Amino acid sequence: MDPARTTIIVGMGLVSYLIRALPQLFLAGRSFPEAFERYLRYLSYALIAGIISTNLFLAGPRFEAGAAPHRALALAGAVLVASWTGKPLLGMLIGALLAQTLSWLW
Amino acid sequence: MISPPFREGVKAAVPIWVAYISTSFALGISAKAYGLNLGEIVLMSALVFAAPAQFAALEPLASGKPALQILLITFLINLRFLVMSAAIAPYFGRVRRAALLFSSHLISISTFIIPYVHFQKEPRKQARADGIEEWGRSNFHYFLGLAATCFSVWVVGTGFGYWAALHVGPGFKEGLKFMLPGYFACILTVELKRKTALLIGMASFLLAVPGALLNAEWGWLVTALLIGTVGWGIEQWIQRGPR
Repeated sequence: MDPARTTIIVGMGLVSYLIRALPQLFLAGRSFPEAFERYLRYLSYALIAGIISTNLFLAGPRFEAGAAPHRALALAGAVLVASWTGKPLLGMLIGALLAQTLSWLW
Repeated sequence: MISPPFREGVKAAVPIWVAYISTSFALGISAKAYGLNLGEIVLMSALVFAAPAQFAALEPLASGKPALQILLITFLINLRFLVMSAAIAPYFGRVRRAALLFSSHLISISTFIIPYVHFQKEPRKQARADGIEEWGRSNFHYFLGLAATCFSVWVVGTGFGYWAALHVGPGFKEGLKFMLPGYFACILTVELKRKTALLIGMASFLLAVPGALLNAEWGWLVTALLIGTVGWGIEQWIQRGPR
């Protein structure tokens, strides 16, 4: 392994660990006001929804216009199946199948 | 001895393993394409355990960009774990600090969202009646069962993806790319019942891409944080009513 790259990777690990560990150390066992808990929850939902669309429609800083229609269609299918059956895994598998098939067809 | 909540966590992790296998595979394949070696990418998966930050670091690492720049990218992308870690911490009650220090490394988007939704199904009042220590320990074991196995799958999957890099056909790229965001979307669909949460999720989904196009590093993150904050603020304002 390249020593310089290995050092950077260890640094990345340290940075990631501190971000995760500090709230656990200082906030564990304490209860927040209900409104603040709801705020954190909404922030998480917003972040996750943002990750979904950016992962699905962007390649780096570029919008993947060619692939966007069939990925959106696959997502709609997955969400419909999950909503109808209440099974997220089934929805994801149907969506992945749709995304793959539509990419072959288009 | 394996406790029942730990086993329950392992069972709940199975769908995440499926999604992780495809993503960690893709990471291993990308790492090979950028010229990293097997030891480096497996070490990165074990120490960082965060797909977006790892993917983002591949190019700068391979091209020899300054260490400070790579660490800053990692910090900014992983900053969301601060919120997630703070949100999940109260559910662990009075678990020992050493255990929390160990387990905090296992927090990722997937290992946060499933336990978080699970913990909310159990009313806190009931938890108080049963004993806060037992409640926290049970939640912690559930999290550990889920997160430790996901972590193992992630690290092994990365190595295996690297090894298999030359043997996986590029024709299956679309299906693999869809799996992780598709799974998150399905989880949110099933779990989001409150109108405000649904609206926040929808708005963030629609506006994160324009935000990212305006600013590739910060755009989507700032957009999502703004939407979450504004949505919560409006709900608070409506609940208070006219004075």
